[in-house]
Amino acid sequence: MKNHPSFQLLLLNCFAAFSCNSAHTQSYNTLWIPDTLAGPNFNLTIKDTFAQLTPGNQTITAGINSKFWGPTLIFNKGEVVKMNIKNKLNEATTIHWHGFHLPAVMDGGPHQVIPAGTVWQPYWKVTNNAATYWYHPHLHEMTEEHITKGIGGLIIVRDAEESALPLPRKYGVDDIPLVLTDRDFSTQKQFQVVPYGDSMMTNGTLRAQYSVPAQVVRFRVLNAAIERSFNIGFSDNRNFFIITSDGGLLNAPVSVNRYLLHAGERIEILVSFNGQSGQSFDLKAFNSTLANAIPGGENFPGGPFANFLGKKDFTMLHINVKAQTTGAITTIPTTLKTNVPLSAANANVTRILTMSDSTGVTNPTILGPNAFLINHKLFDINYNQYNVPVGNTEIWEIRSTSGFGHPFHIHDVEFNILSINGAAPPAAQAGWKDVVFVPSRQTVRFIAKFDDYADALHPFMYHCHISLHEDEGMMGQFVVTGTATSTLQAIKKANDIKLYPNPANDRLFINFSDPNMQAYYVRISNALGKTMYMLPRPQLQEGIDISNFASGVYTLELTDEKTKTTTTKKFIKQ
Amino acid sequence: MKIRYFTFKLLGLLLVMAIFGMSFSPITGKIIQDFKLKNVDGKYISLKNYPQAKGFIIVFTCNHCPFAKLYPPRMNALNSKYSKLGVPLIAISSTDTITYDEDTYPNMVRKAKQEKFNFPYLFDGQQQVAKNFTAQKTPHAFVIWKEDGKWVVKYNGAIDDNGGEPEKVENPYVAQAVDALLAGKTIGQKETKSIGCQIYFRK
Repeated sequence: MKNHPSFQLLLLNCFAAFSCNSAHTQSYNTLWIPDTLAGPNFNLTIKDTFAQLTPGNQTITAGINSKFWGPTLIFNKGEVVKMNIKNKLNEATTIHWHGFHLPAVMDGGPHQVIPAGTVWQPYWKVTNNAATYWYHPHLHEMTEEHITKGIGGLIIVRDAEESALPLPRKYGVDDIPLVLTDRDFSTQKQFQVVPYGDSMMTNGTLRAQYSVPAQVVRFRVLNAAIERSFNIGFSDNRNFFIITSDGGLLNAPVSVNRYLLHAGERIEILVSFNGQSGQSFDLKAFNSTLANAIPGGENFPGGPFANFLGKKDFTMLHINVKAQTTGAITTIPTTLKTNVPLSAANANVTRILTMSDSTGVTNPTILGPNAFLINHKLFDINYNQYNVPVGNTEIWEIRSTSGFGHPFHIHDVEFNILSINGAAPPAAQAGWKDVVFVPSRQTVRFIAKFDDYADALHPFMYHCHISLHEDEGMMGQFVVTGTATSTLQAIKKANDIKLYPNPANDRLFINFSDPNMQAYYVRISNALGKTMYMLPRPQLQEGIDISNFASGVYTLELTDEKTKTTTTKKFIKQ
Repeated sequence: MKIRYFTFKLLGLLLVMAIFGMSFSPITGKIIQDFKLKNVDGKYISLKNYPQAKGFIIVFTCNHCPFAKLYPPRMNALNSKYSKLGVPLIAISSTDTITYDEDTYPNMVRKAKQEKFNFPYLFDGQQQVAKNFTAQKTPHAFVIWKEDGKWVVKYNGAIDDNGGEPEKVENPYVAQAVDALLAGKTIGQKETKSIGCQIYFRK
């Protein structure tokens, strides 16, 4: 673990000797393209495993149905997606659906801890627009470590509007996922849990190269790094066209030759390789020009923040252009969509948040002297900062006094940026966003609507998406309040449930004596106390599948939707 | 103690020096108390059952861990070679069986039979022996040696430097340590980092 002395010694030796990176002079590896999984049912198994990432010893990793990272999930807007998540790590984790609008109890934040060996089954109706999203661990104080191991995956949402546009969408051919990360390898070839790595990894591939056809190619780019931002551009300084911000299509493609992508953010870009068959280009991070207060723009001479890629330009993908495919897209569309941004005039409230450094702060409620803070506080999982009334349209104004820039992410909603340091956002950020970079000592304002999913029990998070900062406490939480349903029914005691058949073999059914009762949460544990199933708002008509349970006595805890009271019953599995 | 970004920004090298100077207590040199654990044949085993032994190769491993699964043939080979020279190999599973059904005692018995373990495979259900050794990963190897009637840790870490490709191993750390001890020489590398699945201790 992080604070083991032998680990730190190794880590620092590694930095001091600059012996970690054995990578530059070697040949290219073919870019790995994650498999796709289509819904509406998704089986995802998180597991400890290992991968051959460099020559020599294998690297201990974690993956989802895979040796590193996970499958790309394909969602269709409007469908109900059902997840069956098995945690086969030997430790607890969570899986958060980054960017999705969904009930807090399904969100996978720090409150939805999946213990080792447990199954978690969230589900929700996809209401997000077509764009690229992702899923990743969010266990408080462990996020950096779990992301470093490789847990995560992309999500592609499709909708009718996007499908009607002449855009490349042959996955792995002219529609290519690019997950940008960096990793640090020890002399024994193991990942170090550090904010900046020495080696660029694209889709889990070191020194990646890929062949693309001589036509318009779409790259879905995610910054999945712990801390580093990537100033994206091409070796020939060509222009490329940004077509999405985090949460949907922009009004029109935005032509740029550089774009600075921060941790947690996604863009989809179109690049024209028309007539360039046989040529090669590099997709690069032009980070040598970044300011010191931008993640990746620092250049520490020594210590744990020193790294080979700091304030340097480096290649993220070597691109070889080959022959055009049949049915190629060869033009960039001029328009994409008509977005209707939220109007500041409709805001019910303006909330003012601060981002600050705790250095020199002597407030006794601050636990540590050197973390970054939101609202002058470190994250406390039992403290709720805001009650957001359901239906509210809110302006959030993030005022930074921090000496460093921070990508601010909010759960539950996609927002529109109103201003960055007083100015309107650049065109590429004028659509729907869920992460916004708050530059050092500047103010960012955004507007969001909290349409539904009131739940006073489960909060949503907002935090810095640099997972080191988030783990250290640069995070807060809010609940959406209000009544989820229009009428409050007379509520009987929640203990009126009956499990049948008992003993049970394959399926266990729950009989509610009060037809108005609904299950908010069901948890089943075995005689040893190990949680077998975590079922948020389970659909119980077809019973609960217990066919894979060993024989024995089990405990079912059911929390009622309205009263939030919990009833416990035992049953026997034959 | 988490490393905080700002600490480094402000204190820079000062703090780096402080960490370098921090007391780093190697496990080698530590005296190990004898233990008594149940083997897959149903009998209990202690170090004192081997009065002729000069030392032991103790490997903390388990059934489920993908990286640990790579090593049983190499552990058989180590035991074949070194038990004759008075240094037998003993494997111990200390993984939390509440988390992993695959690591329960009946499954250990099955695995030892299936993979023809030629060494004892002991069940450390209370995790006490792993704590005593400060074992962290599966597999995690220790070479202990008898000095003045006590068992002293002489090597701590990985079995070798390539789990997945045995033919490409450049440093068979455990074998090198035992060879050195048998020859009365100093061990070249007496601490490496064990690599594999974390052993989590029940509170």
